[in-house]
Amino acid sequence: MSGGLDASRIDVRIDGRLIVDGVDCTVAPGTFSAMIGPNGAGKSTLLRILAAVERPEAGTVEFAGDKLFELPRRQRARIVSFVEQDSSTELSLTVRDVVALGRTPHHGLFSDAGADDDAIVARVIEAAGVASLADRDVTTLSGGERQRVMLAKALAQETQLLLLDEPSNHLDIAAQLSVLGLLERLALSGVTVLAALHDINLATAYCDHVIVLRNGRVFAAGPTSEVLTPELLSEVYGVQATVLAHPQTGRPLVAFSPSV
Amino acid sequence: MQARRAGRVATAGVVLALVLVLSITFAITIGPSNVTPVEVWGSVLHHLGVGDGQLSLLRDGIVWQLRLPRVLTAAAVGAGLAISGAVMQALTRNPLADPYLLGLSSGASLGAVAVLLLGIAVLLPVAAFLGAMLALGLTLLLASSLGRITPSRTVLAGIAVSALASAVTSLVIFWTVTGDSYREILGWLLGSLSGARWPEVAIAFAAIVIAGLPIMLSGRILDAFAFGDTSAAALGINVNSTRWILLAATALLTGAMVSVSGSIGFVGLILPHAVRLLVGPRHRALLPLSAIVGAIFLIWADTAARSVFEPRELPVGIVTAIIGAPIFAILLTRRRSEV
Amino acid sequence: MPRLSRIIVLAAAVAVALSGCATISAVSTPSPSTSTAAAEKFDNCGTRVDFSDAAPKRVITIKSTSTEMLLALGLGDRIVGTAFQDGPVPATWKTEAAKLSVLSVQVPSQEVVLNSEPDLIYAGWESNFSADGAGTRSDLQGLGIATYVSPAACREVGYQPARLGFSDIFREIGQVASIFHVSDTKLLAQQKSDLAAIPRDKRGLTALWFSSGSSTPYVGAGIGAPQLVMDTVGLKNIASGVKETWTSFNWETVVNDNPDVIVLVDATWNTAAKKMAVLESNPATANLDAVKNHRYLIVPFAASEAGVRTVSAASDLATQLARLDLK
Repeated sequence: MSGGLDASRIDVRIDGRLIVDGVDCTVAPGTFSAMIGPNGAGKSTLLRILAAVERPEAGTVEFAGDKLFELPRRQRARIVSFVEQDSSTELSLTVRDVVALGRTPHHGLFSDAGADDDAIVARVIEAAGVASLADRDVTTLSGGERQRVMLAKALAQETQLLLLDEPSNHLDIAAQLSVLGLLERLALSGVTVLAALHDINLATAYCDHVIVLRNGRVFAAGPTSEVLTPELLSEVYGVQATVLAHPQTGRPLVAFSPSV
Repeated sequence: MQARRAGRVATAGVVLALVLVLSITFAITIGPSNVTPVEVWGSVLHHLGVGDGQLSLLRDGIVWQLRLPRVLTAAAVGAGLAISGAVMQALTRNPLADPYLLGLSSGASLGAVAVLLLGIAVLLPVAAFLGAMLALGLTLLLASSLGRITPSRTVLAGIAVSALASAVTSLVIFWTVTGDSYREILGWLLGSLSGARWPEVAIAFAAIVIAGLPIMLSGRILDAFAFGDTSAAALGINVNSTRWILLAATALLTGAMVSVSGSIGFVGLILPHAVRLLVGPRHRALLPLSAIVGAIFLIWADTAARSVFEPRELPVGIVTAIIGAPIFAILLTRRRSEV
Repeated sequence: MPRLSRIIVLAAAVAVALSGCATISAVSTPSPSTSTAAAEKFDNCGTRVDFSDAAPKRVITIKSTSTEMLLALGLGDRIVGTAFQDGPVPATWKTEAAKLSVLSVQVPSQEVVLNSEPDLIYAGWESNFSADGAGTRSDLQGLGIATYVSPAACREVGYQPARLGFSDIFREIGQVASIFHVSDTKLLAQQKSDLAAIPRDKRGLTALWFSSGSSTPYVGAGIGAPQLVMDTVGLKNIASGVKETWTSFNWETVVNDNPDVIVLVDATWNTAAKKMAVLESNPATANLDAVKNHRYLIVPFAASEAGVRTVSAASDLATQLARLDLK
């Protein structure tokens, strides 16, 4: 698949245990895909590999024809950005400072932030919905506010590939929908987005493609409506599921009950 | 908004640099002898090739061999310790980190005490430096034996190595100290600039140029570490090599300073915090300004150490502790101005 | 039977306790006095001591000044052990001193001290009587061991001599003599006549008493033995303004004052030669007149603290001073 994310035969071993086992996954360019799976499936680990912030024991990751692990780091950081699940600092930086950190890969060691950078920072702050927090001390923010600031930081990197690990788990409903809507719009503008999502219904509402991870392996991958069947959900999550159609959007809506 | 802050930082920088120059100029006129300020400056200018000094060879020695080297060493050591402290706090993501965290000071003390007791004090800087590097090596070895080297593991290993080196130092002192040789050792352990001559100036300034300047220029990279390793890697930083290079440079810088002046405490720990309260936590501003403020602070701390109780001298390490704590308390109560 | 043995143990414990009390009370409450007994009870550096019983027979001396005091009074046979000596004794006592048992090179521990079963411990420094040293004075006195500190070395207010004089040293000689019930007449006469024979230099020379240190010099200050010796030989101490026995000093003042002579204390761990090297390698002090012209006076460490050697130290320095050619 040219132009998109293409990972093959990824193995990750931590302290001797194989966390990610022979994973192949692809994400088409300009799409918003979800990675789901139970806790401990290896989603975070795999995402870090796909974002090329850590090296796998084996396997390659390519994006738009570039082998990510062979690129110089700064160049790679201008291509792929990554938002961690939980990110915090003790430094009393302002939100604006934090978002401006996202411009780091665009600067050399000595070159300085220019007016362009200020404009980009302002724009992504607005887009992420944290404009009212711009001059606040980041250590005083709530978990949800901080999560959106970290998203803004990744957006400031202006990359073609954006990977996120549970970007909505601290947010309230309105904020969740807002962030995911933003990611959907990003994908429409050409950015390739892959997010690990905890809430299956958020995945079904916004993502046309889904990768299901279980025990470090890809259990299934493909269009959401085809992959997320009650049988799959039962096998992966151990619960009974009924897949309905959302009354307004028509997209799949999953209702759960404990398995008998 | 950013421009306004940048302007503030630049102004602070210029003002502080000016204060530093003035500090040097006036600190060299203070001392227990009766050389007047005019005579002092005349002597310095004479050595720089301007004008005839009015002082006899002996009294000229007071200025040129005792005061000036001492003030310059104080400036360099203060700057070096402040920079090292700031970097250690960034690398270990621990606001209580100081330059001596990785066993550097305890290792240097062991080396210094050993040569002081063996009576070969002329080898003091070398022995202190080697001791510091040895302790650092031990720390890193210990940290790596715990698995992948992480900041917290390194800190813990450093604590263990420091404890070991301190214990051995105490044993050596207790075992071999005779007469009043403990007095000299104590002065070194507390940190003292009374032995600073031109060779010490050379060592300290060489360390600033070789290790301090590169560190100061890495401010932006340090900022990228604000949210941890993964975040820094995602921003395109080579986390491992950056950390190692910065650590090595800091160790070199600290080792050199400790070899020259003993373990002067407090400067590396508190001054970065004080500067942060002034200009915020971004390292691009923090590092150079910490250097300047560190220099100013130690110049005056040492001036106090050698003149408040004249003709007796206090080890400057005592003064840095006594002066530093209240200043920090005052700075904390000041409301931090808006950016 | 068990009941009887318990009574015996109890009785023994009571007896021991009572004897301990008796010792303490003997020390702290003055008994009716004869004229000699009165002189044997006094306040030594804040601890009341009482030697009105028999003179001590088994003495441990800590520091050279204590050992030499006893040797000078002919009491060498009472010494069961020496510790923390500062240097060799003068030639006159060499053979006698060689026979003395050395308990410890440093401050002895309490156990070592007790092992020799002394009845008196005579210390040159107050700090010798610490819990991790020979033991605290109250502990030792509780065990029936008398303690005595050289009064010149007392540091508390009211006990430290405001300015050490030979009268203080002579008074100590008298005290020690009375403790041991011997005569001090001969020794005092000798000391006083030797003292009177010392020529006082009239040239008005200034001096530094350099004891130790390299980056920060440790020097004789205004109220102790160094000052006394320098006054006796006619030297003006540049550090006399500091009201201490010794003090940490600074090279700048030394260079500023440019002393005419420098007295170097010679110790095995810090020789006079080493101090000369320190002075010569320091670019500021290398230009001192005293350093350039080698105007040095040497005094052995053991003679530099207040004691029976102070007079001879002064005499020796006066001789060296007279020989110095000051251009």
